[in-house]
Formats: sequence, C-alpha cells, structure tokens
Amino acid sequence: MTTEATLPSTSASPTARQVWTRARGIALALVLLLVGAIAIAVIRSDARHGELDPRSADPNGSRAVAELLADRGVDTRVVTTLDEAAAATGPDTTLLVAVPDLLSRSQQSRLHNAFADSDGRTVLVAPGSASVERLTPGVTADPATSLDSTLSPDCDLPAARRAGTADTGGVRYTTTHLDADKCYTSERLATLLRLPDPTGDGDTVVLGAPDILLNDRLDKQGNASLALQLLGSRPHLVWYLPSLSDTSATGTDDERSFFDLLPSGWLWGTLQLFIAAALAALWRARRLGPLVPEKLPVAIRASETAEGRARLYRKADARDRAANALRSTTRTRLAPLTGVPVTQAHTPEALLPALSAHLHGDGQDLRTLLFGPPPSDDAALIALADQLDALEREVRRP
Amino acid sequence: MALTGRAALLAALGSLPVGIWEPSWTGILAVNAPLAVACACDFALAAPVRRLGLTRSGDTSVRLGDTADVTLTITNPSRRPLRARLRDAWPPSTWQPGTETTASRHRLPVPPGERRRVTTRLRPTRRGDRQADSVTIRSYGPLGLFSRQGTHKAPWTVRVLPPFTSRKHLPSKLARLRELDGRTSVLTRGEGTEFDSLREYVPGDDTRSIDWRATARQTTVAVRTWRPERDRHILLVLDTGRTSAGRVGDAPRLDASMDAALLLAALASRAGDRVDLLAYDRKVRALVQGRTAGDVLPSLVNAMATLEPELVETNARGLTATALRTSPRRSLIVLLTTLDAAPIEEGLLPVLSQLTQRHTVLLASVADPHITEMAKARGNVDDVYEAAAAAQAQSERHHTAEQLRRHGVTVVDATPDDLAPALADAYLALKAAGRL
Repeated sequence: MTTEATLPSTSASPTARQVWTRARGIALALVLLLVGAIAIAVIRSDARHGELDPRSADPNGSRAVAELLADRGVDTRVVTTLDEAAAATGPDTTLLVAVPDLLSRSQQSRLHNAFADSDGRTVLVAPGSASVERLTPGVTADPATSLDSTLSPDCDLPAARRAGTADTGGVRYTTTHLDADKCYTSERLATLLRLPDPTGDGDTVVLGAPDILLNDRLDKQGNASLALQLLGSRPHLVWYLPSLSDTSATGTDDERSFFDLLPSGWLWGTLQLFIAAALAALWRARRLGPLVPEKLPVAIRASETAEGRARLYRKADARDRAANALRSTTRTRLAPLTGVPVTQAHTPEALLPALSAHLHGDGQDLRTLLFGPPPSDDAALIALADQLDALEREVRRP
Repeated sequence: MALTGRAALLAALGSLPVGIWEPSWTGILAVNAPLAVACACDFALAAPVRRLGLTRSGDTSVRLGDTADVTLTITNPSRRPLRARLRDAWPPSTWQPGTETTASRHRLPVPPGERRRVTTRLRPTRRGDRQADSVTIRSYGPLGLFSRQGTHKAPWTVRVLPPFTSRKHLPSKLARLRELDGRTSVLTRGEGTEFDSLREYVPGDDTRSIDWRATARQTTVAVRTWRPERDRHILLVLDTGRTSAGRVGDAPRLDASMDAALLLAALASRAGDRVDLLAYDRKVRALVQGRTAGDVLPSLVNAMATLEPELVETNARGLTATALRTSPRRSLIVLLTTLDAAPIEEGLLPVLSQLTQRHTVLLASVADPHITEMAKARGNVDDVYEAAAAAQAQSERHHTAEQLRRHGVTVVDATPDDLAPALADAYLALKAAGRL
C-alpha cells in the first residue's frame, strides 16, 4: 500500500510557531519580572550589608572601631567558624561574638566551655534570652527592651564612668552574680553587664545593643570611648561573625542526627528513588487526550409531583384529604361494578343501595366506610385503606 | 511529549547501583544521564505524529441499543515506523458505562509509508447525533522510553435513531388491519367504509350487506364487500415541551411517545394513509411532510433522532395553529402529549375546538407505572399517604381525560410499554368505524 502524495493535514496540535506565539507574552512578563527583581536586589543590597563586620565601611559596619583599635596597637582578626573562635581564646585576647543568637544550641555550649577558663575577655553583643542563659549562666534577659537608647552609666565600672552616656539601650539583663558590674540601667535593669570570672582575671561583658560598635553611631555620646575601652583591654581582638557555612552548626560529635547514622548508600539510593517517583508522576500525569464534554439531558422523574404531594400530606397530617382521595377512587371503581353511572358514584343515595344489594349486607357499615368522617389517627387511616381494599375485593369476587 | 512507565522503572532500578556502588552525585549522574540520552534518542526516533494522515469511514446511523463500527485509517507518510497508542474520543454517551477505556483505545503499528485501519465500536446510550471528538495519538520510540503525542481532528457524525422497540407489535396490528381490509374471509363492516366490490353470498356473511338489487339481476345472492377508507391524512404531533422531559422508568416520556408514533406511522403507511410529523414546543422542532409510504418511516426516524425535550411550557395556541396550517384537509391529528391537568386545561382546552371542528383528534399520553405502584402501596403511614397522593393524581388524569372526551377527543392513556399497541388499536378502531 502506498500513500498519496498529499494528504490534508488533520493535526489539531499547535505547531512550534503557535506555541511560541501564545507563550511569548507570558515569557516576556516573566523575564521582565526577573530583571526587575534582580535590579531591585542590586540597588537595595548594600543597605544591611556587612552588619557588625569590622571590614565593612557601611553605616552598619564596624570598620571605624577596628581602625581606632589598630591605632592603639590592638590587632583585629575576623573568624567565622566556631573552631577558630574557640582556638583563639586566651589570656591576652578579647573575643567578640557579634550575633550570638545565630549560633545553634550546641555551638553556644561549646563556645561557653571555650571562653569560660581562658582568662581573656569575652564580649557578647545583644544575646537574646535563650542564648544568654547558655553562654553566661546566671544571667537572664528581660523580655521587654529598654525605651531609651541613650543611657547613663550609673555604676562603678571605670570604663563606663570614663565614657559617660552611651547608646547601650536594647536588651536588658538581670544577674544572680553578686560581683557583677551592672551599668547603663534602664528602669533598674542593666544593659551592660561585666561578669568577672570566678578564677583568674578574665571577664565576660554582655552588651544590650550593638550601637556603640556601628560606624555611624561611633561618634555619638561616649560610644567610641566605651567601645575602645571594652575591646582594647587585651592586645588581640578576635571578632567572631557566625556564618552559615560553619559545619559545626549541624553535625556535632555528641548530637548525631538520624541521617548521620544511615549508610550514605541508602540516602543516595532514596534520592534516586525520588527521581524515579517524579518520572512516574510525569508518566501518569500525561493524559491521552482531553476529556470530552457533553450536554446531559435533564433527569426529572415524572412521578415527582405525586411523591412531593405524598410527603406534604405526611408533613401536614392531612388525613382528611388522604382519606377523601382513597374513598373517592374506590367509589369511582365500585360504581361501574354495581351498575351505577360514574357520574353518580359520589352520591350515597345512588351508590349505597346498589352496593348493599350486590353484597347482600347492611348499608350502615358501608356508609361509614365510603362516606364517613376522616380517620382520627394514622392507624385509623391505614385501617381505612385496608378496609377499602377488602370491600373492592369482595365486590369483584362473584 | 510523554514519558513511559519503562523510563520510570529504569530510574527506580537505578537506585540499586547508586546505593551500592556509588552513593554520590557521580552515581546519580551516571544513572540519569544515560537515561536522559536514551529518552532523547527515543524521542528523536519516534515517528512524527503531526504528519500522520487520518480518514474515517463506517456507519453513519445506528438504532439505539445496537452497535456502530467506525473505521479510522491512519497513514504514516514518514520513513520511521509508527508504534502508536491512540484514543478515538467520542462523547461519554457513545459508550456503555464502564467500557469507554477499552472501547476507545487502540494499539497499532504502522510501517513507514503504509496505512492501517482500526475500528472503534460505538454503543450509544442515548438518542441524537454523536460527533467524534479528537483523535489523540502517542507515538513511541524504539526503546519505549519516551513518546511524542499529538491530536488530530477527524470529524464524523453517527446519528443514533430511536430504537422503535414497538415494532414487535407490527405483525399483529397488520393482521388486524388486513381483517378490516376485507382481504381475509372475516369481514367487518364499518359504517363509513367504502364500497369495494360484489361477490357471492357465503353462509356467515352479514345479511345486512346483501345487495338486493344485484341479487335480482343475478341467479345467486350477491353481497357487497367493503374496504376501509384509504389515502387519509394523519398528522402526528409530538409535544416536546417540559412535560415530555419527565422520566418514566429511565427514559423520558418523549421516547415512549416517539415509539408509539413510529408504530402508528408504520401501520398507517401500510394501510395506505399518508403520515406527517410535527414536533413542537414553542416553535417547530421537526416537520416531516408529504413523504411516500416507503419513505415515511426512515424520514420520521431521522427527524426524531435529534429531538430533545425542551424545558419550556408548550405554546398550545401556536401548536394548534401550526397543526391546522400543516393539515389543510380533514385528517386525524394524533397529539402525543400529557394528561396533566394544568397544561391541558389552561393550554389545550381553550383552543381544542379549532382542531375538533375540522379534524378527528386522538390524544395519547404516557402514564407512569410508578404512580400505579404507589396507588397500591399499603402497610405503613408513608405508604398510605403515597397511595392517597397517587389516587389523587390518577383521578385528576381521569378528570382531564373526561373533559377531553366531552370535546370529542379520543384519549389513550397507557404506560410506556402499552402505549404503542394501545394507540395502534385506537387508530384501527377509528378506521373500522370510518371516522378518519
């Protein structure tokens, strides 16, 4: 069998050109959206970039304080991992933890162990209530922050007294350590705490707000003085900026998760199975052509009105109407059987004598049955229906 | 484009080498890259769907309840063999419920440059026109991992005709007609029948039909024979308004009316009468006029196939006017409508005299067997109330029928199974009485 040279095309699928024509508007919109998003991201990116980073000259950076410290012979080293920070602690070192809240639970415990016996100074910048309890046991943070940001020293700490008022207002702390210096109080809660180590001459400083370290706030009040005195007490400053690339955040030796315990073959095999499941979903999702719509005919039962009427009778307990209907039907059926014209079927005077003659019975009983009062209750109605049936059978029998 | 289960299965099996030998990104890549390449090759080697040529042939009409075979010819003009699964999509009522998937899907190979036929067997569940929807073809590559998919339009219409189940009554009614016709030995003399011929008296003949004048001329007693009138005009009027939509059993009233109309048309066309059809609700839905006896039944069936009940109140005035216009000379008008009180009393009765003045009117209505069942219900309160409601409905119908009879209309009220023979009997009775 050979085919004709030209067959009229019956294809209804869109061609590549049609697909492009239809989709290009959406594609263009998506491209514009993406370009816009990138542009906005580029323009706005430097706003909060390098916060508390001693290498950043942004308003929120801390390069100024690092430069000032360098002029005074304190060298600043930035570390981003916990291992480096823990290794750098020592008697001649100040360890500044920039954002302690970013550290995981286990990291905070390790950090605390590392600096607790180092004889150096540790400065914690604005730790929240969860972190401060783990990093400096005995200190708790108040859930409400201070209203003012500029506070006066109110304590005996020489550094604070020399500096005078400073922008330390932020998280407020209480402590159970009796020998702690509580400075810059706001409503009797300190925003700067210095906790001397019980052994040796190291100490821990908890600072309620990072403002005194920021570039654009350094020249306000006594910020610069306070910052230099807090950070310049040792010849080395280690500036710890917690980062997401620090692997110690997830996998620690004592807290191994379920996935660490699984052999890696299982994990990668499962990943491949997920790929297979995705392919199977694609396989099953593709339909062999669209659904075919069709107009459906109406489906109303012809007997619906009669059924509705029956339910209405039932609801209204319309025994009179029901009995009437049943009686009149029986009368209409009985009349021809007894030789009474159908037009006179509903007159007792015509029907009853003919009926009693037919049945050789008494007419009083028949009168109540066929023309009597409506039944008083449901049982009487049922009985009436049965009696009417019996009467009809009786008349039809001979 | 579509993936196959085989590709998913291979990917699933790939988890074994990944898990055992190379649990890393390298392993994932080593398994999935060859799979992707194989899929791409498969896609490239599958026969293109767009260039296939599709033509249809086969049945164009089918009686409801029978099967129709529609053949689809697929031509593969490409140089690659086509391994295809295809779905010949038709509206859902084209198939018996539950058989759609097996009936509409086919698997077929078409070698390069050749053509193959597949036959789709339709078994419609409703009357009317069924139009083929699209044909979707999935062309698989040689490895069976990936496929191309495309849709073609191959229009075809199958008209589903009314089943005409009452044709089983036709032989008995025709025998009855022949009795009327004087062709058999039993002669029934009607009043309005036409004189046919004279023949010799045989004992048993009606003595009233002895022609004394002819007897006097001959030596034997001669009797007149009669035959019923011929070439009468019958107009079947189907009411397609809202009352015809109610379902009796699982078919609308309209279907039962059609069945009865078809039996009557078959009978009347054999009896030598001319049959026309009018379907009307608020406008003319179908009109069949002036067909010859051999042609009338197919044209009626064809016209009825696409009729659907409309959910509007029938305009009785318009219906009467159209019926009068359609039958200018005296004829038998068969109204296939309802005996419900409201439409008859408000619609038909005021204008009925226009019809009865010039025509004989026969009204056929489909009774609901469920009402009869309800009327017999006894036992508990609900049943008795149902029986009362049914009795009320029946007596209303009787009352309406009585009103119509008073206007000289012959009324036939029967359940769907009995309506067709009852209507045929009423027609034969009218014919025997010479009232056509």
